[in-house]
Amino acid sequence: MRKIRRAMRIHRIFIAQELKRMMEYKGDFIVGVIGFLLVQCSNLLFLWLIFANIPSLMGWSLDQIVFIYGFSLIPKGIDHLFFDNLWNIGYFIVRKGDFDKYLTRPVNTLFHVLVEKIQIDALGELIVGIALVCVTLPRLGVEWSVLKVLLAVLVIPFATLIYTGIKTVTASVAFWTKRSGSVIYMFYMVNDFAKYPAAIYNEVVKNIITYIVPFALTAYYPALYILTGENPLFNIGMTVLAAAVLMTLGVIVWHRGIRAYESAGS
Amino acid sequence: MKRKLKLYLPFINAGMQETATYRVNFIFFLLGEALACAVSFFIWNAVYNSGGENEINGFSFEQMVVYIVLMFLTNGIIGSDASWSVGEEVRDGTIAMRLLKPVSYNSTFLFQEFGNKVLTEIVLMVPLLVIAELVRWLISGAVAFSVVRFLIYLLSCTAAYLINFFFNICFGFLAFVIKYLWGANMMKNCVVGFLSGAIIPLAFLPAGLRTVILLLPFASLNYTPVMIYMGMYSGIETLWYLGLQLFWMIAFWGLSKLLWRLSVKRLCVQGG
Amino acid sequence: MIKVENLRKEFKKTIKEPGLKGSFKSLFRPKSEKVVAVNDISFDVPKGEILGFIGPNGAGKSTVIKMLTGILTPTSGRCTINGKNPTVNRKSYVKEIGVVFGQRTQLWWDLPLRETYGVLKEIYEVPEDSFKKRMAFLNEVLELDSFITSPVRTLSLGQRMRADIAASMLHSPKVLFLDEPTIGLDVVVKDNIRSAIEQINRQEQTTVILTTHDLADIELLSDRIVMIDKGSKVFDGSVSSLKDKYGQIREMKFETDSKNASERLGYAEKFGFGEDDLSVEQEGALVTVRFNSSVAPISDVLGYTLQRVNVSDINVKDADIEEIIRRLYKQGVEE
Repeated sequence: MRKIRRAMRIHRIFIAQELKRMMEYKGDFIVGVIGFLLVQCSNLLFLWLIFANIPSLMGWSLDQIVFIYGFSLIPKGIDHLFFDNLWNIGYFIVRKGDFDKYLTRPVNTLFHVLVEKIQIDALGELIVGIALVCVTLPRLGVEWSVLKVLLAVLVIPFATLIYTGIKTVTASVAFWTKRSGSVIYMFYMVNDFAKYPAAIYNEVVKNIITYIVPFALTAYYPALYILTGENPLFNIGMTVLAAAVLMTLGVIVWHRGIRAYESAGS
Repeated sequence: MKRKLKLYLPFINAGMQETATYRVNFIFFLLGEALACAVSFFIWNAVYNSGGENEINGFSFEQMVVYIVLMFLTNGIIGSDASWSVGEEVRDGTIAMRLLKPVSYNSTFLFQEFGNKVLTEIVLMVPLLVIAELVRWLISGAVAFSVVRFLIYLLSCTAAYLINFFFNICFGFLAFVIKYLWGANMMKNCVVGFLSGAIIPLAFLPAGLRTVILLLPFASLNYTPVMIYMGMYSGIETLWYLGLQLFWMIAFWGLSKLLWRLSVKRLCVQGG
Repeated sequence: MIKVENLRKEFKKTIKEPGLKGSFKSLFRPKSEKVVAVNDISFDVPKGEILGFIGPNGAGKSTVIKMLTGILTPTSGRCTINGKNPTVNRKSYVKEIGVVFGQRTQLWWDLPLRETYGVLKEIYEVPEDSFKKRMAFLNEVLELDSFITSPVRTLSLGQRMRADIAASMLHSPKVLFLDEPTIGLDVVVKDNIRSAIEQINRQEQTTVILTTHDLADIELLSDRIVMIDKGSKVFDGSVSSLKDKYGQIREMKFETDSKNASERLGYAEKFGFGEDDLSVEQEGALVTVRFNSSVAPISDVLGYTLQRVNVSDINVKDADIEEIIRRLYKQGVEE
């Protein structure tokens, strides 16, 4: 308990520092948020242009697809907002030997790295995601129950941890190879599949994004449960399970990696 | 010319070494990019399965597949990181050092990047073209590869790369104004991606808008070479779009020179 | 206090063949070999000692320091501080130590310096009242007051170094690791830093482990020197014992009108100096001769020189520690 309180205290202090830093570079953050907003808009434009030619995409309406798309942006955006520093591990921190700093401090290194930075750019995704869900939900005629509301909210942190777990595992590769930014990038790119109904893919892809790099569990399956109310045990339960497995794996690989860490310079 | 090339050889070599050193990353990066390609494939597959029509906006399904693969390939060929390189140097001030070297500012970047690319290209190009043609053959049963079109495609790609390169140099100078390069690049890539047809063929846009966008420099980047390769343009159209590429190439080359002059002045005023 | 036992570190190093073909080859089939960076080093450091840790570039200094600070995991062997071992419990180990890397900073770059101390206070769980006392002490020793409200990126190198030392001392560590603390600083600032280190060591009995290229740091601060070369320990002892052991080198400087004094003098043939025992340099009129006084007595060399060439202004002195170490680095150490 004392440990958790301390962790939360440190997290709060890091966020406060980050906010102070941001005040020094306000313009940059506006640029970043608009940048990510634009990316989402161009993807939506793509969907809209496609739907100008077809009535539905393999039985999915535009509203349904946009809902899944919007829902996928919420865990993605939260992970991006709070745990973006892992990218820096993959690209710079290990290669330049700046990881030394974390090892000389009496704080869990993974925790330290995770909470050290926040990435305001992510608001671009988060805002679009929430807006899309809010706009499409009322039009989809979803039947609500207390359980459903509860599960829909509960699943979001776990979906977020799927992102964080995958990033942790892949970022750790840098401890052996010095640079793993592209490895993170490759796995992260798989989340592109998660934005659309998994039903449009073939079996191989569907199995990969469900069981191996399970981004479909961050959006499609939870959304499926919200839309249909079917099979919560799989649609929500798998997300929770995958988050637990991936984070555990992440922590293990990370700590193995530290033992292989070679620092930099002479 | 030979002497000049010798001058830049170290830059080409440095670029290649860089790529080779981080080989694992390089391969994974390519795979990551390929994933985006795969996503497009499945979506279009679903679209053509849902529409009931064989052709949408002049594209049949197999043409769309070739289009996706070619877009991916062309993106790799003409991609440029010059805006990063310039932006970083502007930000940390090392751009002043470039003044001291007896080589042209743009060219040093150009050749370093060229070195970086040679490896990428060899690894990327051959298999992808084979895949594209194979897919086309599997779906339609016809072989449609044309050597002439392929050569014009390469020419057009070269022009597109140079446009992209000089455009990125110009964009990099923005670092004098916007300090946050990552965000600015994000915006740029997104806008350029859409306007150059990388996200959806420009033929899908409403007619009026399409006419304007086809004239903009961005269509000269990916769209023109890909459409040429696919044989979507007639002879006259091909000439017209190649001319347009030439025009934009010269325009951005001029602009980058101008901006370089201005920044030299600025550096001198600031005292380096 | 600090106990280092048979510390060893091996790295795997990728070999890259030169040129275009090499780049292409290593793209597909990278080769690697094993490199022993640190070869079974052992030493103890008692409480309150300032230990100078030296060695030529690439000798493995930094690797040792990084193992001692818990950054690198040793391949074998171990180091302990008060019985604590970084590979067993890193967190409790690093609370005992403070680390400053001269070429890196642990300060929050964009924020006023004060903020860094606020964060470190939380990270190291320093209670409020001891934090205040601590800041007062560090302020007095390192004179932080004048820049504590400035953003770190605006500090001068000397100020930044003082700030970094303060940051590493905030949690009252028992051992302070300083890696190149005076690198890139001018003479006055160097003096400031040195006296601050000395004061911290005296007042708090803080054990200090110091690596540096500036041997004046060692001469002014260290009680003891550990020298390593090619990953092995080659010397361990006091500054004066180093001088006794390797200090027979004398340096003679004189001015002469003779243009090729070194040929005319021919010391080597006359006194039978070996290659390592003698060096002669001439710069204009000034000639510098370094020779091993155990081969030929100073008086003989001096007399012979005066006899052979016209000399104005001559002096002979003990080689300083810098000279000794330079020689050792150059020729390697033979036991």
